[in-house]
Amino acid sequence: MKNRLFENISAGSFAIILHVALFALIFIGMDFQSTTQFAAQPKVDIVHATAMDEADVLAEMARQQELEDEKRQQEQDRQDEIDKKLEQTEQELEDKKQEIVEQQKQAELEQQQRELEAEQKQQEIAELEQQRKVEDEKRQQVLEEENKQRLQDEERKQKIAEDLKIAEEKKLLAEADAKAAQQKKRDAEEAARKAEEEETLRLAKIAEEKKKAEAKAEHDRIEKEKRIAKEKADAAAAKLKAEQDARELQMQESLATEAREQEATRVEGVVNKYVSIIRQRVKRYWIKPTSAEQGLQCTLQVSLFPGGDVKQVKVVKSSGNALFDHSAETAVYKAGPLPVPTDPKAAAKFKQFSFNFKPE
Amino acid sequence: MTKQWLKIAASLAVLLPWQAQAELVIDIIGGTEAALPIAIVPFGNEGPTAQIDISEIITNDLANSGRFDPLPKRDLISDPHEKAEINFKDWRLLRSEGLLVGKVSTEDGELHKVQFQLFDVYKSQQLAGMRYQVPAGGLRRLAHQISDQVYEALTGEVGVFSTRLAFVTEVKGADGNKRYALQVSDADGANPRTVLQSKQPILSPSWAPDGERLSYVSFENGKTEVFVQEMRSGRRNSVAAFKGINSAPSWSPDGTKLALTLSKSGNPEIYILELASGKLSRVTHNSQAIDTEAVWMPNGKEILFTSDRGGRPQIYKVSVDGGRAQRVTFEGSYNSSADISPDGRTLTMVHGFKGKFYIAKQDLQTGTLQVLTESGRDESPSFAPNGRVILYATEQRGKALLAAVSVDGDNHRRFGESGTDVREPAWSPLRK
Repeated sequence: MKNRLFENISAGSFAIILHVALFALIFIGMDFQSTTQFAAQPKVDIVHATAMDEADVLAEMARQQELEDEKRQQEQDRQDEIDKKLEQTEQELEDKKQEIVEQQKQAELEQQQRELEAEQKQQEIAELEQQRKVEDEKRQQVLEEENKQRLQDEERKQKIAEDLKIAEEKKLLAEADAKAAQQKKRDAEEAARKAEEEETLRLAKIAEEKKKAEAKAEHDRIEKEKRIAKEKADAAAAKLKAEQDARELQMQESLATEAREQEATRVEGVVNKYVSIIRQRVKRYWIKPTSAEQGLQCTLQVSLFPGGDVKQVKVVKSSGNALFDHSAETAVYKAGPLPVPTDPKAAAKFKQFSFNFKPE
Repeated sequence: MTKQWLKIAASLAVLLPWQAQAELVIDIIGGTEAALPIAIVPFGNEGPTAQIDISEIITNDLANSGRFDPLPKRDLISDPHEKAEINFKDWRLLRSEGLLVGKVSTEDGELHKVQFQLFDVYKSQQLAGMRYQVPAGGLRRLAHQISDQVYEALTGEVGVFSTRLAFVTEVKGADGNKRYALQVSDADGANPRTVLQSKQPILSPSWAPDGERLSYVSFENGKTEVFVQEMRSGRRNSVAAFKGINSAPSWSPDGTKLALTLSKSGNPEIYILELASGKLSRVTHNSQAIDTEAVWMPNGKEILFTSDRGGRPQIYKVSVDGGRAQRVTFEGSYNSSADISPDGRTLTMVHGFKGKFYIAKQDLQTGTLQVLTESGRDESPSFAPNGRVILYATEQRGKALLAAVSVDGDNHRRFGESGTDVREPAWSPLRK
């Protein structure tokens, strides 16, 4: 800190010197300029009113102009010189300034460097301190650990001792228990034996009673079953009888129906058979007239004598062709006597029936 | 209540079919087309026995028609001649369709009283019956007339037994020369009478509708010439003797015109000749073809003819007023010599097949053709006037003879083989 302060003071004084110098320079410059201006001014402004010819005037004016120009040029050159010097001075000043700034900068950098180093040092110290602290803690920890271990060991030892002691006690207790148990067992066995005997006796007694009861129940049951069976049998017999009666009745009915149906079927069969025979026979005897055109049809009603002889043939529906009708009639007569069934039921159907005659 | 109703309904339902079936109906479909069995009892004779057995002629007529099957004489259980003598119950057992009885009586052998009765034995009813008085010479014809009556009574169709046939015979005389005769016989071929005799061929006889005139072609003058001849008087005259061919005459249904084939214009064409005026009109105009064998349709408005205008002979039809001819036959490569049934429905013609010639018929409505004969040498078909039979000429053992076939093709019959060649038949119309 002291170093920095010192460096600041030296830099400050240097700056002051520099500024003084600079002011001095500026002052010198200014002074020179104003002097020149004052000296030239009266020469230009003073007019000499003398009668002269124009050429002289003009020459004079030209000479004056030249002088003036020369003076202006000199002044210009001097000004330029000054400017140049000033510029140089400024440049030098600037350089100096730059140098100072850089020196300051350098100083700052050095200062910073130093501060940084100091900081680092402090940091290192802190780190070391930290390290040491950690190690201390570790050591402490190890110590504590060892301590703890030792305590634990002691506890364990103590516990083992206690366990041994407890085991010993338990063992003693167990032995006692065993003894007691044995006694108990013996007692129990004795009791059991006694109980068994008693139980056996009791069971025997119960069994006997049960047997008696069962026997009675069985007897009752059998009696009951017998009774039920008898009742059932009676009912069944009654039912059977009823069913049989009903079935018989039904059978009789169905037999009757069947018989009727059979009879009807039989009669139908017989009728069909004879229809077929009669058809064949009439067809064989029917000689169609050649004039019988398709579409002709006549219906004849025929009545027969019981033996099948043709009693009567009647044209109930004419074909419109007399010869055709006649041929049909003749066919029926010629086919007579028609074969008729002997069965009265079937024969009944042939007492009177019809023929339809068609040529095709 | 409901149950009772159900019971009643049920019993009714059971009863109904029985009641519905009460009237038995038997369908007879078909039947046969057999000949009708008929019992013909020989007619009784009173007085001198006639030369003609009428019942024999009738039996033959009916049998030859193919439509009847007369019972053999030995099966006849009795010989009644009139109703009073008939036990119908007995006759029923024979199962004939009819019973014909009759008798002939004559006192002088010339005038004969004839009667016949036809019965339905099942109904004991008379179906037909007549009494006649005819001279001995009329007995044959009377027999045919009775045949017609029986036929009509039992078939419903007109009988043709009393019609006639015209035909041409050819005999070789003792001198070795052929003789031709135009003859007319009864429909059974019996009783032939010669109408014209010639040393030159006679062709194409054609009956006038009245049955009293015949036209024909004769070569007697060295060339073809058409004549018309009256049957009763025998008078005849030439109606067509033009240059070239004069042939194939056919009478118009009204009997006033003849259709002819004439080649007076150089080519055989069909012409119509009005007999009363002699006016001639040309019907066909096909100079490239032969048009011939004209036959009138029953309506009198059209003519069928044979033409080879299509390359081969076929039957064509043309209006009597001319105009465009329509081809009628298409089956086979040869059809000629047409005749038409009286109802105009059926055509008959000579049908050529593999070089042989048969008689065929064609239904004009359906076009169906049916060949009716088998010999392969058959020609000149001619319809019977009831349309049931077709008469034609055929050959047997080198002899030409006449034959007939029923229009259904079932019944065939040949006419008396006399030893002479018989050709060119024409069946007459019904007698008026």
